[in-house]
Amino acid sequence: MAEKDQLIGGALAAAACGLLGAAAPGTSIAAEPASKWDVDTAFLYYGESDGRVQDASLSGLAIRNFGDDRKLSLGLTVDSLTGASPSGAIASNQVQTFTSPSGKSTYTTPAGEIPLDSSFHDSRVALDAGWSQPFARLYSFNAGLGISTEFDYQHLGLNAGVTRDFNQRNTTLSFAVAMGKDKVKPVGNVPVAFAAMGDVVDEDGTSANRGSDSEDKDVLDVLFGVTQVVGRHTLLRLNYSYSDSSGYLTDPYKVLTVVDPLTGEPVVRTPPPGVEGPGGVYLFEHRPESRTRQGLYGELRQDFSGKVLQLGYRFSTDDWEVDSHTLEGRFRFPLGESSYLEPHARYYTQSAASFYRYSLAVGTPLPDFASADARLADLDAYTLGIKYGHESSGGNEWSTRLEFYRQSGKAPDSVLIGNQRGTAQMPDFDAVILQFNYHFKL
Amino acid sequence: MRTKLPALLGLLCLAMAGCTNLGVKPWEREVLARDDMQPDANPLDTALDDHIYFSKEGTSGGRGFGGGGCGCN
Repeated sequence: MAEKDQLIGGALAAAACGLLGAAAPGTSIAAEPASKWDVDTAFLYYGESDGRVQDASLSGLAIRNFGDDRKLSLGLTVDSLTGASPSGAIASNQVQTFTSPSGKSTYTTPAGEIPLDSSFHDSRVALDAGWSQPFARLYSFNAGLGISTEFDYQHLGLNAGVTRDFNQRNTTLSFAVAMGKDKVKPVGNVPVAFAAMGDVVDEDGTSANRGSDSEDKDVLDVLFGVTQVVGRHTLLRLNYSYSDSSGYLTDPYKVLTVVDPLTGEPVVRTPPPGVEGPGGVYLFEHRPESRTRQGLYGELRQDFSGKVLQLGYRFSTDDWEVDSHTLEGRFRFPLGESSYLEPHARYYTQSAASFYRYSLAVGTPLPDFASADARLADLDAYTLGIKYGHESSGGNEWSTRLEFYRQSGKAPDSVLIGNQRGTAQMPDFDAVILQFNYHFKL
Repeated sequence: MRTKLPALLGLLCLAMAGCTNLGVKPWEREVLARDDMQPDANPLDTALDDHIYFSKEGTSGGRGFGGGGCGCN
């Protein structure tokens, strides 16, 4: 009897574990004492059109089950980024010259093209560790720690959460909190808000209009979730999330072009004799020092005799007035005994931040905040992709996915000046995502 | 006592769910226990996607924590 109880308990725990979202791949109703580690590895290539950002990334996620659903997870990601990134400056009918973020050299952009800063390159290492375990029968606790480092950015994150099962473990409520402490250390020091891009300085010099060498940013995230078993084939998840960021939320590498108030063309500037420098007036952007975001996320998972449909929707709104809607769907269907195919589609749309500007007119008072970062403009994005997976007889699985991402932005008419109406160009791009995964047990 | 408490809790849960009538019995979880029916069946894919979209779009998060921790936004 006791043995039977344990079996049922195990089955319940395994099923509930799935509800908690803490299940490692490979969790099943029967106990599997043979393997202790579940390891997921991935190589990801992300490449944007026109020589823009390219990212090659290696990741690993290992989960060790100590029995009774006490689990340790360890993750590692290494990214190598290269390519060019939009600076925020607008295209001009003349060649434009800019000082690079380090302040040590210049780069030029041909007439008619959107300025891209080609000095963009970075490597990033991220490590995280997490622990989860049940307690008091219907509860589960989890906690985690994450760090990541780039040459100009450091992140430290802590998170903790608790879940509680109800209704024969058909309903799970979860509550989680995460805190992030970040440090921004821009190349060439932190630019003064709305200061003009300076001329080139020698090796030992510091660019004009630069302040301290680093700034801090704090993020607090809170998440309430409900996971509900609707029926034998249907699972529903709803999340409410709240996020509060404070500190330095500006992008230290982004600028705004100063333009003629009538024509909207960039103002021309001549550097002092014998000095290299920008051929226009470009002001470093300035964002508010706090941002509060709220989000609702719903996800439905439905089984159709072995085929699984996953539909997700997210609404997000914040006090920067960026509202977004995301719709996402995946449909996984088996191919033969041990393979599957999973098409994926995603649509994203957002409204512009209240302080988004395409450019700034010379001679008019500066706004309190302004950014020409296209990620804060009106934008739409689509992803279309497909994933193929194959499970070997030993239970290991490899998979590959190929996806296309297209993003197009729009500057609202209210922020365009003179000839910019009808001719404004946004730094739209296409990207390809190619990923290989290998999942095995140790 | 050891068997009564779970039974009482079970009854309480049943009562809580009385009006919704949602859910299944423990022995009806065969499909729900499958890997591909877990809420986060591919945590690594999710983390990589969250990171990409965090870097390229103006809003992020909502599904869980993740995607953040970089200077890309």
